[in-house]
Amino acid sequence: MKILVADDSKVMRQIVIRTLRQAGFGGHDVVEAENGRDCLEKVATESPDLVLSDWNMPEMNGIDCLAALRAQGSQVTFGFVTSEGSDEMRARAAAAGARFLIAKPFTAETFTEALAGVLV
Amino acid sequence: MTAAPAITDVQAIVEQVWSSFLGEAEPLLPAPVAPGRAFPADDAWSAAVSISGGWDAAVTVELSTPLALSLTTTMLGLTADETAEGPLDADVADAVGELVNMIGGNIKSLMPGPSVLSLPAVAAGRAAHPSGAAEVARFDGVRAGQPVRVAVHVIPQP
Repeated sequence: MKILVADDSKVMRQIVIRTLRQAGFGGHDVVEAENGRDCLEKVATESPDLVLSDWNMPEMNGIDCLAALRAQGSQVTFGFVTSEGSDEMRARAAAAGARFLIAKPFTAETFTEALAGVLV
Repeated sequence: MTAAPAITDVQAIVEQVWSSFLGEAEPLLPAPVAPGRAFPADDAWSAAVSISGGWDAAVTVELSTPLALSLTTTMLGLTADETAEGPLDADVADAVGELVNMIGGNIKSLMPGPSVLSLPAVAAGRAAHPSGAAEVARFDGVRAGQPVRVAVHVIPQP
């Protein structure tokens, strides 16, 4: 499977990729995007099976990226990895079509729980 | 009255972020500094995020340069060979910015909303605050003898 990791922070993309490995999901192809617009383009060109996206990014944020994907008809599995894990943000994410929201800081166990049934 | 997060919540968030991404081998220990006293390092990095909407505030992080460099190499997972020349400034700015983003995002979640969290602004140097800003919570700590400060400021509304 192919995973697209979208975050404007290179450090955080590295941490997400490392945590995927620690959670037992190291065998998948990983593609990176630097913001929501880049993510939108790479969903089209790379056809990932899963998008793990930050919320707060320059150019285009994660929620606008998700809305644009759904408006284009893309049903790619989409989950947020964000520092904002309030009930309000979780409700907005779910309403927009996100499968889950992982709040930062997270552990490998958080990834295992969130991605169970998503990645095989 | 100005809404403010409990200092115990701020400390819990900082410790959780710290242990999740930096491990517990070198714990972050509280090291209170008297109110009004400057951050105890001349050579420092700092970062800030603002929160606006239901609650208007700024969250800042200051940390000594050795701690900022150590944080960056750990977060990037660099090996000893890769860190021989130290991380690039852009990587330090990225790591310190992500630290304040995580802390600020978690503090925002505790406060009245809806609010918007800004992207982080990072500087090589101490954080400075406008005279109208009131510090409502602060955590001072040390890791391996190196200081870090997290502060929450609000701008009183007229």
